[in-house]
Amino acid sequence: MTKPKVLQLGVIDHAHESWNALSELADLIVPAARSRAEFLEECRSGSLEGVVAVYRTFGSVDITGLFDAELVAALPNSLKFICHNGAGYDQVDVSACTERGIKVSNVPTAVDDATADVNMFLIIGALRGFNTSMIALREGKWRGHPPPPLGHDPEGKTLGILGMGGIGRNLKKKAEAFGMKVVYYNRNKLSDELAGGAQYLSFEELLSTSDVISLNLPLNKNTRHIISTHEFELMKKGVVIVNTARGAVIDEDALVKALDSGHVWSCGLDVYEDEPKVHPGLVANPHVMLVPHMGTWTVETQTAMEEWNIGNVRAALEKGKLNTVVPEQANM
Amino acid sequence: MPSQMSALLIGEITHARKEWKDCGSIANLKEYPLGSREDFILKCRNGDFNGVYVIYRSNDSNKITGNFNEELIDELPESLKFICHNGAGYDNINVAACSRRGISVANTPIAVNDATADVALFLILAALRRIAPPFQAVRQGKWRGGPNFQLGHDPRNKVLGILGMGGIGQAVAARAKAFGMKIQYHNRRPLPLREENGAKYVNFEELLKTSDVLSLNLSLNPSTKHIISKPQFDIMKDGVIVINTARGPLIDEAALVEALNVGKVWSAGLDVYEDEPSIHPGLMENENVVLLPHIGTATFETQRDMELLVLENLKEAIQSNRLKTQVPEQKQ
Repeated sequence: MTKPKVLQLGVIDHAHESWNALSELADLIVPAARSRAEFLEECRSGSLEGVVAVYRTFGSVDITGLFDAELVAALPNSLKFICHNGAGYDQVDVSACTERGIKVSNVPTAVDDATADVNMFLIIGALRGFNTSMIALREGKWRGHPPPPLGHDPEGKTLGILGMGGIGRNLKKKAEAFGMKVVYYNRNKLSDELAGGAQYLSFEELLSTSDVISLNLPLNKNTRHIISTHEFELMKKGVVIVNTARGAVIDEDALVKALDSGHVWSCGLDVYEDEPKVHPGLVANPHVMLVPHMGTWTVETQTAMEEWNIGNVRAALEKGKLNTVVPEQANM
Repeated sequence: MPSQMSALLIGEITHARKEWKDCGSIANLKEYPLGSREDFILKCRNGDFNGVYVIYRSNDSNKITGNFNEELIDELPESLKFICHNGAGYDNINVAACSRRGISVANTPIAVNDATADVALFLILAALRRIAPPFQAVRQGKWRGGPNFQLGHDPRNKVLGILGMGGIGQAVAARAKAFGMKIQYHNRRPLPLREENGAKYVNFEELLKTSDVLSLNLSLNPSTKHIISKPQFDIMKDGVIVINTARGPLIDEAALVEALNVGKVWSAGLDVYEDEPSIHPGLMENENVVLLPHIGTATFETQRDMELLVLENLKEAIQSNRLKTQVPEQKQ
């Protein structure tokens, strides 16, 4: 009996041993395609028939484009599992997969520490207003002329976490070490144990009472631009916004306007609506802290993520099911 | 005789002007906001400051008078009994010379702890995560930049060695613990067990040999100048990260540059330099180091807290002939 096939979309950098060990269970193949058009053609030609599971990365979108309805429809009939290496899986149209009986997994948990670390770095950087000083120093001007405005201490400030999943809860513990008080909004109120003493607020209450607001929710059709002009109007004057989730949860243009008016005092961003493009209004603002989508970019976390994703492929091959599926498919 | 006593403010009070003015009920208030060392000494000799019982000075006002070394202290009026200094670091005051003249000195510990520890954590995260190159690149429109966008490291399970476990060192330890770091420290004396919070006391050599990240949180005095120099770098772990938010001259800056250049030190996060505001060109040329221009306590809240603490010392001096936070050297 022929072995099933596993299709690798994107690069594996660290977990080579675990990946290669899968070859005892399946033929590991890569596409010939170098573009979306070629990939669709390759799928439709039938040459990928026999592929049972796909291992895909965030970066593989550069070749295949988004795993939208069009692409999902073209995938081989044999395909049963898509294992996405990343916490955010907005690149994959899950309902299209569900319709075809394809199960989807992402990588929760392994990403929590690294993402929360960048998140906390951005909170401090934005509250303290370090950007002006760091840029001035590198230009040989020490603190700059005029000297930068004073920043603010995190101690005693209210951090409103939008989205209290694994990353949000991880962030809470770190923020509390800086003396911040945490409140949260989530689709569902958490148990007292999981919430760890953080107060549950309505979305509007969180917006209007937080000194710092952190976006830690997934991007989907309900959350796109969940923070826009109206939401900025509800926020405290001088609020600080931090986003390590997905750029499109914030209306970037509205953010720039709110920054320019002074309603938003500063922000710290790891993600942008149209990466790798950054709104020029953000680049022009010396008071904001910008880093280029590097939330999980460490040796330890990238390795753990690959291992997790490969583990899902292995589970699919050995047991016929994934270790976890994305929340939308919990009842599938 | 409070109404005959004078208090002299050298430099500025920015956030607690009202509280300074209120001291007018217990002393004559004099101010020397601008000037020069020569002019200040001249005024001392002319008797302009006769009757001054307590001086309020700061690290900032040092640029007006120059260091409070033996030469200047000798010129201060006979009536002077207290110097209330705004700054945790007071290496610009010759305490021994003050003691010989019967002048008591106070600094501002505790009020600075949180803000300084926040900067230390920012630098630790930034150095570990290799934020410096992509941080520059994104603002230049280059997104992540080129080959210098390298994987960083997670703080979890890395050994943080704290040199100087005073108030600031302990605040750094508490924060770093929340990121999963293992804490060890070296101090003049070990802390009482109940204050260690899981931190391990080690001797100086072991601290250098076994720490993944080394944070300097000790005060500068003649015996600690260049406490970190070439022999110390030589016994550190390969790829160590060095963090300094204390005083620049604790580190031999040229030796640090050499250690960075040969890769012994993987990255450094610095808020202070040997010869501020000059920075060793080798540091400026290094893309991987994270540099801040001595802004450890530059927040509205902490600046006000520090000014209020100096005024508390000032009032204690006038009303009770003692200080609230006298420098350790004089308390023996």
